[in-house]
Amino acid sequence: MSGGTTTRVDARGGSLFAGSASVRALVYVALAALLFGFGAIAPTHLASEFVLRIGAGGLLLGMLALSVAFLMSQAGLVVLGAASVYGGVGYLFAIAMSKWDLSPTAALLFAFCTVIAYAAVLGALIVRTNPLAFMMLTLAAGEMISHSVMLEGLRDYTSGADGLVVTFKGAVFGMTAADFANATQFWPIAWSAAWILGFAAFAVRRSRFGAILRAIQENEERMRFSGFGTYLPRLAAFVFVNAIADVCGLLHVLNSGFVSPESLGLSVSTNALVAALVGGVANSTGPIAGGVLFAFAQDQFGAHGFTQLLTGLAVVVFIVLLPRGVIGGLIEGARRRSVLSSKRRRTA
Amino acid sequence: MLEIANLSVSYGRVRALDGVEIAIKGAGALHGIIGPNGAGKSTLLDVVTGRRSPSGGAVRYRGKDVTRKSVAWRRRHGMARSFQRTSIFQDLTVREQLTLIARHLGDDRLGDVIEVMNLGDCLDEKAGRIAYGVQRRVDVALALIGRPELLLMDEPGAGLSAEETLNLFLHLRDLVRDRGMAAVVVEHDVDAVFACCDVVTVLDLGRHLATGAPAEIRADARVIAAYLGSAA
Amino acid sequence: MRAHGVIALLIANSLALASLLIMLSSGLALIYGLRDVINFGHGALYMLGAYLGYSIALIGGFWTALVVSPLLLALLGIALEYLVLRPLRGRSHIEVALVTLGLGIILGQALIFVYGGEARGVDAPPALAGSVRMFGLSYPLYRIFLIAMGLGSCTALALWLRFSTSGLYVRAVSQDPSVARMMGVNADRLSLLVTSLSAAFAGVAGVLAGPYLSVDPGMDVTMIVNCLIIVVIGGTGSIAGAIIAALLFGFVQVAGSVFLPDLAALAPYVLLFVVLLIAPRGIGRGRAPA
Repeated sequence: MSGGTTTRVDARGGSLFAGSASVRALVYVALAALLFGFGAIAPTHLASEFVLRIGAGGLLLGMLALSVAFLMSQAGLVVLGAASVYGGVGYLFAIAMSKWDLSPTAALLFAFCTVIAYAAVLGALIVRTNPLAFMMLTLAAGEMISHSVMLEGLRDYTSGADGLVVTFKGAVFGMTAADFANATQFWPIAWSAAWILGFAAFAVRRSRFGAILRAIQENEERMRFSGFGTYLPRLAAFVFVNAIADVCGLLHVLNSGFVSPESLGLSVSTNALVAALVGGVANSTGPIAGGVLFAFAQDQFGAHGFTQLLTGLAVVVFIVLLPRGVIGGLIEGARRRSVLSSKRRRTA
Repeated sequence: MLEIANLSVSYGRVRALDGVEIAIKGAGALHGIIGPNGAGKSTLLDVVTGRRSPSGGAVRYRGKDVTRKSVAWRRRHGMARSFQRTSIFQDLTVREQLTLIARHLGDDRLGDVIEVMNLGDCLDEKAGRIAYGVQRRVDVALALIGRPELLLMDEPGAGLSAEETLNLFLHLRDLVRDRGMAAVVVEHDVDAVFACCDVVTVLDLGRHLATGAPAEIRADARVIAAYLGSAA
Repeated sequence: MRAHGVIALLIANSLALASLLIMLSSGLALIYGLRDVINFGHGALYMLGAYLGYSIALIGGFWTALVVSPLLLALLGIALEYLVLRPLRGRSHIEVALVTLGLGIILGQALIFVYGGEARGVDAPPALAGSVRMFGLSYPLYRIFLIAMGLGSCTALALWLRFSTSGLYVRAVSQDPSVARMMGVNADRLSLLVTSLSAAFAGVAGVLAGPYLSVDPGMDVTMIVNCLIIVVIGGTGSIAGAIIAALLFGFVQVAGSVFLPDLAALAPYVLLFVVLLIAPRGIGRGRAPA
């Protein structure tokens, strides 16, 4: 009943645009392009280097949060081991260059593909379990990776607790190590990556594959009784979100020039989870905005030395009080308000 | 079409099915399975559709042993089922779920299913919002997509009145005849089964008791004893 | 050292470790059986138990700590039941698990705030400070006490589940919540009992861990990860499975540190993934979540 009402209202609202959906789409694309261009360039002129650095860190956290949020909203699965991919790919990149003399670009590709292969094998084992066990297993797998860089036997490769400095000669995608480390030059890269990954997640969500994932999440048994395999789609989704985290981890190591066991730690995974919860998991904008928001909040909080306390508090508050997150909550609120006002318009 | 050969299922020490043999031959025939509570009717359906593996025996479908095949494989090869407790996608609209499955199974005659199950009025409603009786029709509609050759239904009359159940069964009989498919119906409501099914099988305590035309079964002394014995 | 001496040592050490793991993971499995919730904050409860034990032992000695710390933890368990599990009953199990994760992080941070970041050592009580000779080897008396406590709590748990009315109810709900509800079992009251008991056991484990491992800020994460591995290996929600898995885990960990010290840290994970490969649902007969 209420569904019928809103469609009628929407149709009337659409007539403002002379009934042409394509005009509206064009306006949206133009606005998005404007926003993208503005966001890529303006901050590098307006913001201080310090703010740019935190902002870029926030975008990276946001992309990691996007990977967590995508799997949460599309498959009902919570990943607590995002850090193992995020930090792990950095280690592989460093080791491939320093120990195996690969060129920076080759090392980048090697690290990316190895992590994808790892995600595929891990996923093959764990996506068959129930969601709660899945969550426990991703946590365990993450801890396994962070333990393994500390192993005595691998000390030659990983330098144990000291971490690795990651420098490279020459250029990757036309940029030198110094370029990546420069906050003004790195911001547009992080900004573009956030848009590309955000759109990739959006496209997958809107695709038939996304619809199948959500249907499996809602009623897996009926999907099997409708002729769908339910294992491969979930595995594919797991590999997809790890690819996002993978890109994110490479950007991180290129920017910071350093990898350490901290980048593999549970706190990175829980921060990504919190950023996703802060922004809301249902779309692409939410987690990325949540990442930026959380990075600045953490900067304020970090002065007192208790960044993890903020993480813990945020998890509890956002799940108990604001399950849709700040961004999701705002969208929801706006929608409710517009429905109310259109109802009022209709009765008037 | 379907051969159930010496099928057994055990839950711990309890035998839910014990050496059951049933053959379902005809296309265009409605085959009813009845029996007192605990007879193993639902277990039988679960094993045939692959939801549960048997501890012994085999399921042959179109002459092929499918005992180890997955649920999804069986569905793609024309074996569909509906559920006693409706199993649909509450968060999707009726249209969304029907088209999702129709595209997967390559069915381009979805209109038929919508018409047969009389779902035209609620296509754009979220399935969780529509009346329970309509949800049950959606459940059967999901099973009818892709023109299955064998349709298995678990208590389609559950939650409906005796009159509604009878009407549903008459409707199902026509559907099965029109489409020339085989259908197996597990049902609690004995009257509807006797009135509409072409063949009736009786299970009791996990064993096959009798199979035959409704009139024969009705007169079978063992069947009467089983039902009286369980005071149903 | 003779071969059977090494084996005896190996078994004793793995039993000592397994004792702690059993106390913690059976608590996790019990709550899961009743509420379908995994308490990700269980590691923090254990850490709180250890730090409380440390403080109380400084004032009143080890034995006082072993009694008082679990009692305080039991009170916290009651708070957990009333303030978290009951109000969030209608939420998805994943959400509740995440809330316990968040609460665990908060508790851990609060402990670091109070006690600082350094590890603290706790001495075994004088009565248990020495060693005994077994199989021609000397073995710390405290570890034997630990094993006795582990086996004792295991036995007590088994007796309670098998012979008491509340134990029967717990088993009934764990196997089939809907049937148990129809039989008139009050899941809320049981959950109160089980949550406070499992928190108390986390307190016992924390105090016992003091002289055996150490009391340090990372102990909550290490322990919760170990316990989650055990619960998954044991088959989520299966108590017998958790006990067997804890024994297996203890053995693999200890044997790993003896034979492959370089790779010992990975031994539990190898065990986990091998079990998952063979039996995705774990070794015990757990119940799939509703």
